[in-house]
Amino acid sequence: MPVGVGEPPHTNSVPTLSALLTPELLRRLEQVQLLAARRAKSSLKGERRSKARGLSVEFADHRNYVLGDDLRYLDWNLFGRLDRLFLKLYEEERELPVRIFLDASESMNFGELTKFDFARQVAAAVGYVALCGFDRVTVDVFPRADSRPAATTDNSTIRLPQSAFEGALRSVRGKKSAMQFFQNLTGLTAGGTADFNGALKRGAMEARQAGVAVVLSDFLDSAGYEAGLTALVGRGFQINCVQILAPEELDPTTFGDLRLVDAESGFEEEVTFGKYRLKAYQQTVANYVQRLREYCAGRGVRFFSVSSATDLGELLLKQLRASEVWA
Amino acid sequence: MSFLTPLAFLFALSLPAVVVFYLLKRKRVVKLVPSTLLWQKFLAETQASAPFQKLRHNWLLLLQLLLLLLLVLALARPYFAGKAGEGALQVVILDASASMQATDETPSRFDKARAEALKLVDGLKTGFGNDSQQMLVMVAGANAEVKQSATSEKAALRRAFESAKVTDSPTRLAEALRVAETLTRDRAGAEIHLFSDGAGVDLSEFESKDLKLSFHRVGSRGNNAAVTTLDVKPNPEDPTRRAIFTSVANYGLTPVDATLELRFDDQLVETKAITVGPTNTTPVVFVAGQPQDGVFTVKLNHADDLAADNEARVVSRLPLPVRVLLVTKGNRFLEKALAAAGPNVELATATDFTDADAKFDLVALDDITPTVWPGGNVLAIHVAHTNWFEGGIGSLDGPAIVDWRNTHPLLRFVTFDNVQIAQSLAVKTPTWAVALVDSPQAPLVLAGELGRQRIVWIGFDTLQSTWPLRISYPIFLANVVDWLNPASAAAAQFSIRAGDAFRMPLGDYLAPGAGALTAKITPPGGPERTIPLDATARELVFGDTGKQGVYRVTLGTNQLAFAANLLDPVESNLKPRDELSLGRRGEVTATALKRANLEYWRWFALAGLAVMMAEWWWFHRRTA
Repeated sequence: MPVGVGEPPHTNSVPTLSALLTPELLRRLEQVQLLAARRAKSSLKGERRSKARGLSVEFADHRNYVLGDDLRYLDWNLFGRLDRLFLKLYEEERELPVRIFLDASESMNFGELTKFDFARQVAAAVGYVALCGFDRVTVDVFPRADSRPAATTDNSTIRLPQSAFEGALRSVRGKKSAMQFFQNLTGLTAGGTADFNGALKRGAMEARQAGVAVVLSDFLDSAGYEAGLTALVGRGFQINCVQILAPEELDPTTFGDLRLVDAESGFEEEVTFGKYRLKAYQQTVANYVQRLREYCAGRGVRFFSVSSATDLGELLLKQLRASEVWA
Repeated sequence: MSFLTPLAFLFALSLPAVVVFYLLKRKRVVKLVPSTLLWQKFLAETQASAPFQKLRHNWLLLLQLLLLLLLVLALARPYFAGKAGEGALQVVILDASASMQATDETPSRFDKARAEALKLVDGLKTGFGNDSQQMLVMVAGANAEVKQSATSEKAALRRAFESAKVTDSPTRLAEALRVAETLTRDRAGAEIHLFSDGAGVDLSEFESKDLKLSFHRVGSRGNNAAVTTLDVKPNPEDPTRRAIFTSVANYGLTPVDATLELRFDDQLVETKAITVGPTNTTPVVFVAGQPQDGVFTVKLNHADDLAADNEARVVSRLPLPVRVLLVTKGNRFLEKALAAAGPNVELATATDFTDADAKFDLVALDDITPTVWPGGNVLAIHVAHTNWFEGGIGSLDGPAIVDWRNTHPLLRFVTFDNVQIAQSLAVKTPTWAVALVDSPQAPLVLAGELGRQRIVWIGFDTLQSTWPLRISYPIFLANVVDWLNPASAAAAQFSIRAGDAFRMPLGDYLAPGAGALTAKITPPGGPERTIPLDATARELVFGDTGKQGVYRVTLGTNQLAFAANLLDPVESNLKPRDELSLGRRGEVTATALKRANLEYWRWFALAGLAVMMAEWWWFHRRTA
């Protein structure tokens, strides 16, 4: 176990570095590449085609020579034929900023394999694919560590503050950073109350260039999800949403007279629930997911809804590939 | 709706207790969930689809409140007070006549009427003080019987109704009504409830004003065929055989095809197929030999609403010789006519009657005043007996015959056309006799019963008239012999209508000085009854003849039988009547059978049970 990775406050098993993604999965992820629908807008060089003209091997255009241009890019063959000076332009290859919004609120701490663990695995996979493609990966964990209530520290283990991991997950680049990236992801814990819309809006503003955004959340925020997604769309992000729900949310197994306590807000809801109402509840969930799916479809946002018990490989290599998130 | 025990509403205080239980917080299982967002949406959606969601949350409460309310209502014993059951004294008359046996109501009209009457009992207000009601039970069969005197005790009243039995007798309600009238007269709030079908009810003699009578009609239809008359006579063509005259009436609206059986002492003699049209009556004559005294039974094999009137019996005794003494100075017409009056006539003639103990069935006095007046039945021709007539006896010359009573059995087939009379005695019609033949001034022929003596009196000397030359003369004398024959008079005693008393003179059976005697009577299908007779008794009277059939009588060493029959066309006409006429003006219309004062607590208790089961089911459904 890496130094500083302590036990999260919940009892679920901590996915270690190797458990986050299996070597087999990593090997297969190395072969895929994020598909960017738009030209990269980053100002930094990378391996993505961009609209910018610059230095590369890909010829783009000619233009008239003006005083002061670098003579090295003059097209001498054209000069020989036409006796006029033209400058050869090449496409500049730029990097693709990949921004992963990772919901680390208390509500993600549910499920056999917690929703948060599942989300981290997806984040690790997406990040690994991006890093392999020399793209810049930023993991935007919300709620931020500084907005969370101070976690009771366990004196037996030394642990780095959450903010240290969060900081280390900003602007990661290069395949060699992958191991550190995974370790930092592993170090994260879920807790506190998320402001989904606020996190997405802030992420959209912080990003210097729009790129690919991957939103990993359960999308269960009483304030809704519309404002945040709209902000990202408006900023020009190409958005992929993965809704992760725990099996017990999809198919509750506790019946009777219940007082349900919201893990995040502490809000209490009294429900008398029986098997006879199971169908109605499932219909409610299906309706919610369907509304979300329709909202996303209307804005060009790819949307996936999975249970945290879903096989990761199935999601990564089949669903995402089929939806052309990557190829 | 009123309540018999309104105090039970105090139990309603438990209603708020249930609400309080629900006000107490329900202990719920606390469960931490990722987000209540989905649950809120779930609740919102189910509420939106069912507008009564808020109520549904409290259905258990509502069910329990309902259950409790029903139980409290049941405890309060609610009832609907019908107008029928408000009197302080209710006289209930249950018609127990034969027509009440009709099965057009299930199981029978009588049972239906009894059940309705029992409802009245149920509705009787019992308690103390002015609210208490009393009921008196009368059963009107052949005679009115007070089964239970006025009481508030429901058990006794129910027992009285349960013990009432329907009879085979005709309807005789007047007597019951008269008793009821005397019971209810001068009593405020007294009511008479008559449970009857109205069939065969004749209250035309009953005059009463202000009779608070409610007529509860039972019965729905009148599909019935019945044997309405039965008589047995010597066969005029063959004296050794008997002719059984009967008639079958159909009161239904469809023709009846049936077979009619004749049995003699339970031996089948003959069967005839008959068809009787709707509302028609068909006469049927059987001719049968008769080896000994016995009972002829006529049975109509037809399934109809009333079985009691499909059978009738008649006691037939072998004809005995009729011993006739003719006291005359010589009258060949009369002698011949009497000798030919019947097959069994044994005629003796004399010129005077001197021995009062002489054994003759009848004595004919032809224009002779005897030394001793005969004690038996007498045909007196031109005889002035001053004990028979009040006032003087005069004389009348050449009286004209202006009228004769041809409905009298003596004048059957007799007419007085073309009969002239020279001279006649003139008397006033005495109270014991009826005038059969009238002249404008005085009766010419009288017939009647004085004491136990039947007398036919002819006021004129037949030889001084043209009558012996007419065909009506021998017919009249044959009728006279039949009418005056004590045996034929006795034969009539052995056929009575069910419910009528059987009366028989004991003279022939009671040897003088024999001392006390007992009569044993076996009713049809019933146990033997012993009737003690003291030495001075002159008549055997048996009144319990409500059941039709053959009654066997053992009197000393003598075996007798008499038959009780319904044989009542009015009673057999089962059509229920909606109105009863009282006297000349009064009229009672059938009241709809009100379920007077019917208690409903059973229904409330039943509904409470249903609600309890629903609550149980609901509780298990929501927590399953």
